[in-house]
Amino acid sequence: MLLKKAKAGALLDAIAAKERLFVPADDRGTSRFVAYGAGVEPRFDLLNTKLPPKDLLFPATETLYRWSRDGADLAIDSAFAETDPFTVFGLRPCDMASVDRLDAVFLTKGYVDEFYQAKREAATFVAATCAHPGRACFCDSIAASPHEAPTADVLLEDAGEEWVVTPQTEKGASAVEAWKPYLEEGDAEPIKAACDLKVDMAAVPEKLKGMFDDPIWSDIGDQCLTCGTCTFVCPTCYCFNIDQDVREDEGKRFRCWDSCMFTDYTAMAGGHNPRASKESRVRQRFMHKLTYFNDRYDMNLCVGCGRCMRDCPAAVDISLIIDRIAASEPAQEKEAMAHA
Amino acid sequence: MPKTPIEVSHGCARNNGEPYVPQVCRVIDIQEQTHDVKSFRLQTLDGKRPFACEPGQLGMFSDPPYGECMFAVAGVGEDYCEFIVKNVGFTTNHLHELSVGDEVGLRGPYGNWFPYESAKGRDMLFIGGGIGMPPVRAFLRHCLAHREDYGRIDFVYSASTYDDLVCKDDLFNVWPNEPDTHVHVSVYHAKEGDGWDGAVSYTAPYLEQVFAEEGLSTENACAVLCGGPSLFRTCRESLLKLGFAPEDIVTTLEARMKCGVGKCGRCNVGGVFICLEGPVFTEAELARMPRD
Amino acid sequence: MADVQDIIRERAAALLSSGEVSAVIGWGVGRFDDVRFPLVVKRAEDAGKLVFDASCVQMTAKRLLEHTGDGKVALVARGCESRAVNRFIADHQLTRDQVYVIGVPCPGMVDPATGETLKRCAECQVRNPVVHDELVGDPVPEPKPYRFAEVDRVEAMSREERRAFFDEMYGKCIRCYACRNACPCCTCRECFVEQDKVGWQGKAFNVNEARYYGMIRAFHTGDRCIECGECERACPMGLPLMVIMHQQVRDIDKLFGPYEGGGLTDSGPDPLRTYKTDDIEEFM
Repeated sequence: MLLKKAKAGALLDAIAAKERLFVPADDRGTSRFVAYGAGVEPRFDLLNTKLPPKDLLFPATETLYRWSRDGADLAIDSAFAETDPFTVFGLRPCDMASVDRLDAVFLTKGYVDEFYQAKREAATFVAATCAHPGRACFCDSIAASPHEAPTADVLLEDAGEEWVVTPQTEKGASAVEAWKPYLEEGDAEPIKAACDLKVDMAAVPEKLKGMFDDPIWSDIGDQCLTCGTCTFVCPTCYCFNIDQDVREDEGKRFRCWDSCMFTDYTAMAGGHNPRASKESRVRQRFMHKLTYFNDRYDMNLCVGCGRCMRDCPAAVDISLIIDRIAASEPAQEKEAMAHA
Repeated sequence: MPKTPIEVSHGCARNNGEPYVPQVCRVIDIQEQTHDVKSFRLQTLDGKRPFACEPGQLGMFSDPPYGECMFAVAGVGEDYCEFIVKNVGFTTNHLHELSVGDEVGLRGPYGNWFPYESAKGRDMLFIGGGIGMPPVRAFLRHCLAHREDYGRIDFVYSASTYDDLVCKDDLFNVWPNEPDTHVHVSVYHAKEGDGWDGAVSYTAPYLEQVFAEEGLSTENACAVLCGGPSLFRTCRESLLKLGFAPEDIVTTLEARMKCGVGKCGRCNVGGVFICLEGPVFTEAELARMPRD
Repeated sequence: MADVQDIIRERAAALLSSGEVSAVIGWGVGRFDDVRFPLVVKRAEDAGKLVFDASCVQMTAKRLLEHTGDGKVALVARGCESRAVNRFIADHQLTRDQVYVIGVPCPGMVDPATGETLKRCAECQVRNPVVHDELVGDPVPEPKPYRFAEVDRVEAMSREERRAFFDEMYGKCIRCYACRNACPCCTCRECFVEQDKVGWQGKAFNVNEARYYGMIRAFHTGDRCIECGECERACPMGLPLMVIMHQQVRDIDKLFGPYEGGGLTDSGPDPLRTYKTDDIEEFM
């Protein structure tokens, strides 16, 4: 079945009449996934949104519980609430792959994060393939592919003037049932693009284990500002802080995005800070992104979307870093990571 | 006689409801341990123990509006959980101002626990310093509660001064009276009239001294170590020097923790989260982890 | 600028081989031809990696602060970098003898996204280095373009329009602190944002917290700002940060003037933190 791009508006209106719908769109000079409604122009032509769709599942700020005090008495109420169904329409394969990573973090390993789970189960993901990957895109050598998104509920394959629509899950199948009036019979040849930029991740996670004291971290540290830009535009960065908002005798505790790049990220009471140096934080970022995550979840955390490369104020380039690691000589058996 | 290898389980804690939302508990007892250390016993509002937990596990103590801190559970009773808290910062400062009857939040238990199962049959050598007492205390109490399962028990404990010794009653009155349980205490600094007439030594040399004087053996022993960075470093070296294998040295790590369930990333070291896979690790496992 | 680039490379190699400096800070080429990044060269044989052309968009001076412990460090400095050097000296972050300034007059950089002159260069008042140990290339004309057009536009807004302007601006802020980390005035070891115990800055992501952060930072840097525009360039969300900084410079000129921005010399005075007996205010 086909969805003509020129007629997508009618379908979007129909979806939005029944539930919340998020589409890539311009937003005050940048771009992000925006709630579709009057005045919103979907930008399916954008290579990718500046801000990733992770905030739809993992908001930048989210209340966990509320408390109030009355003398010595304390009352605590969870702020958890079920989420109404919503659709994310037009996310790229890299961003769909990022959802797989977030699922691994929030839904596995003993604890299920119910705040994330509620949104995840309420979401229908409609992924759109990329006909023209950008120069900083390298998804197909690290985590995904411009022309497929196997975990999306519905796949829209770009065929030029239209998309080839394929439901891939039960949720996707029932969604597409409702789209029938807006779809057309027929075939079209999906554009199967490939990324120009390729990285060689094969040996990188293993090599990194011997590179704890490598000069690469100092070199990156010379360049990097340790701001949080990369971590906030990254679709898979998930570190968060838990803090509070207090009004006299009541308040709420919320979680909010945080960044391993910030100086005070590991600062402890009593003054000790294991990662006080810029170099150690830079090392943590890339070690976590390119090897520690693999140890836990058996997949690459970086999905090759290129956002950090485009937006870093100091032009730190993760693809070049991967190149350098891939080209490094394997370390001899040494206690490079011996506990101090 | 072949001994079973020490096996620390990781990632064993499980969801028991909302991991981020505390339950309200009441402070039922506060003891002043030292000038800056207090122990707190917490109970649910209907008089029950807040949660069952294994020795070594952690609990997140919250005192709205001041904040949350993760502490090792120092002991559990029929109807309470006990924490020992040193006043080092903003939140602990406010915790120290609590009174009996005040209500606070508690969530947990988090983290893994000491390998009390695979350590059965071994002689136990506990080493602790200062506020490193709580996790060691939890494990030691477990061993004492299952006395026949363990061999000889030694506890080498030090603190800066006599006043800084935590759980003095346990150290001097309770534990030495347990079967084949030997407590060796030293302080780093002693003064005239401070009430101390025992050993004056840093932990590592004292440990080596006690080991020699008591004729201890590494043959069938398990060492359990908990203390600050420098105690950890020096005692680890001493233990290795005395002949302990890294697989037989168990310790518990510390880090800034926020979520407690291995998601927020703060306590991530290498491929593990200290709040979820840890805080208990063997020295052999630590040697394979990155330095930070 | 090709000649300038060659001279920079020669000078860098010479300074490093002689041991006069332990590092030279300039720009290198990224993966793509139009991408430059701040590069710290520590060996003479790497001097060839340094480039100087119209794509060198980053203001690199802040990296000086991380390397001065290793001995003297050389900096390829245009007008903006040279003012940053003065800023560091005036703020007691550096002493003059810790930095060797390779001064380079700058005709302005080009924004790779638009192909046009980079905004901060289009507003630049000082293209020729104000401090240098040597000068590479001939001084360039300094037309001193009017830089207050946007300030005028915002000042002319009604309250509602202005409210909408700032709500939009701070509603976009993602609190990455790129502006702070890029800014040569922001050298506090512990930023107010990090003073958790005091709790000046809330951690929630909303327009109020972002506005609070932005305004406080603007005032903390206000009378020291060198108008390099690096904050605005670094901002991934395109916040018009310079409108507030230019406004402060103009206000300070009006109230405490004459004042043309910070970093023109290495000794201030910084008007908001310098008291004189003929101050227009009777009471501080």
